Amino acid sequence: MAIITISRGSYSMGKEVAEKVSARLEYECISREVILEASKYYHIPEIKLSRAIHDAPSILNRISGGKQKYIAYILSAFADRVAKNNIVYHGLAGHLLLTDVKHVLKVRIIAGLDYRISIVAKRDNITRNEARVLLIRDDQERQKWTKRLYKTDPADSSLYDLVININKLTKDHAVDFICQAATCKELETTESSLQKVKDLALACRVKATFLEQGFDVSVTSDYGNILVYTKAGDRLMHKLQKIVKGLDGEIKGINNIEIHSGVTAPHSAV
Amino acid sequence: MSIITISSDSYEVGRKIAEKTAEILNYKCLGREILAKVAEKHGIPELKLARALDEVPSSFGLSAKLRDRYLAYIKAYVLNLLLEDNTVCYRLAAHLYLTNVSHVLKVGIISNPKELISRIASEKNISEEKAEKFIKKRKDQCRRTSLQVFHVDETDASRYDLVVNLGQIDKKRIIDIITETVSDRKFKPVTYSLNCMEDIEMENRVKAVILEHFSDIKVHAKRGTVVVETKAFKFKKEKKCNSIKEMAGKLPGVVNIEVHTSSYVSGN
Repeated sequence: MAIITISRGSYSMGKEVAEKVSARLEYECISREVILEASKYYHIPEIKLSRAIHDAPSILNRISGGKQKYIAYILSAFADRVAKNNIVYHGLAGHLLLTDVKHVLKVRIIAGLDYRISIVAKRDNITRNEARVLLIRDDQERQKWTKRLYKTDPADSSLYDLVININKLTKDHAVDFICQAATCKELETTESSLQKVKDLALACRVKATFLEQGFDVSVTSDYGNILVYTKAGDRLMHKLQKIVKGLDGEIKGINNIEIHSGVTAPHSAV
Repeated sequence: MSIITISSDSYEVGRKIAEKTAEILNYKCLGREILAKVAEKHGIPELKLARALDEVPSSFGLSAKLRDRYLAYIKAYVLNLLLEDNTVCYRLAAHLYLTNVSHVLKVGIISNPKELISRIASEKNISEEKAEKFIKKRKDQCRRTSLQVFHVDETDASRYDLVVNLGQIDKKRIIDIITETVSDRKFKPVTYSLNCMEDIEMENRVKAVILEHFSDIKVHAKRGTVVVETKAFKFKKEKKCNSIKEMAGKLPGVVNIEVHTSSYVSGN
């Protein structure tokens, strides 16, 4: 019983691998569904959320927090989904949100540029050069996105449990490896690791609410006890307290909320 | 001959996985112990050979000329052994110079970070914080060395077929995955991939001999034909070409030799 996140470069066959793994292990396979759920829950057009997760935030976006809000919505929907367990997720950033959760198998699927160029050129009926430009731009955008939001390089293999190169290895090899690794004892779901995912889902939802009101905060949750870390001074504290009061009825599962001002947020905060 | 290369950020972890895999598959296991034989064959200290594999060339360490020569000795020796038998190879940087050989399964192993930190801390009798810094520094050095010496980034996952992190996946599972994968027909040698290996072996064998007398050479080999590129002053060109031809011509397997020279440019 595990959560499997599959991070992939564009056209690296990650989607196909994810679908095959989910079919073999009888897990649910999700990707775009997360965006649809976020769109439905927060009443934001799907296209805006898709753009937020695809394009790196510009300087203006970072100041206004527009994209950050959308990303928080998506992560909140993602964390809610994975809390149900037995999930194969393929897409951006899944592994980064779940770094501290034990029962998550983090996989990255990569493929050689030449191989990807052939696929894109054939699929879109464009020249190899055009396909190359498209792929390089796409890779750079994904890299920028992860670097700006999580300050890590998606190509860093230490972020994953398995990095599979679909070059000499095939999709079926990748499926075999992932299914074998998913049954490792270390990846068994425990009560505490499941609670961690539930806490993450809660923290993401709280963060999304704060961002909605224009406050960029970091949030942790421990068995429903929420700590909100903010850089806002005393002048804005009453506004934050007001949001906290509103949260009580709005989000289920919260035991207690505290706001910490001027304190550095821990690494595990969302 | 099937080949598995195992590269790891921890010597111990890499060795254990390589030895166990070799034992299960009944393959030969090659590690740093062969450096003693290379050192004996060429009459040089073993330590210098290890430094050629690990250190970035610097004005205080090995010179680039010596490093190239020692690396050619190591590569020629390793490749010769790899051509003989099914082999699991670790810590000899084989994944960095067997890049175009299709039947090589290249595996990268990342140790459990917590275990690695505590092991380094106890081995070196330092705090865990210092051990963490030491590991980071060593990783940077590996990256710089691979880039300078082999012109590839060792930390780049696309250099491997598979990279496994021991943080969540146990060693037994990794060994199972490796042993099953190598039995796939994609990792069985075919005539073309064996020819590629033989060519690389010949290149390094020729290089090792010529580098004893001349530096600044590039060697390409294809099915017994060897092309050597070098630099020479106009008046020494003929003499240099002849001595290279004589040296390379004596080596077994060399059928044709071509020497291409370009002139030295002052100040370049």
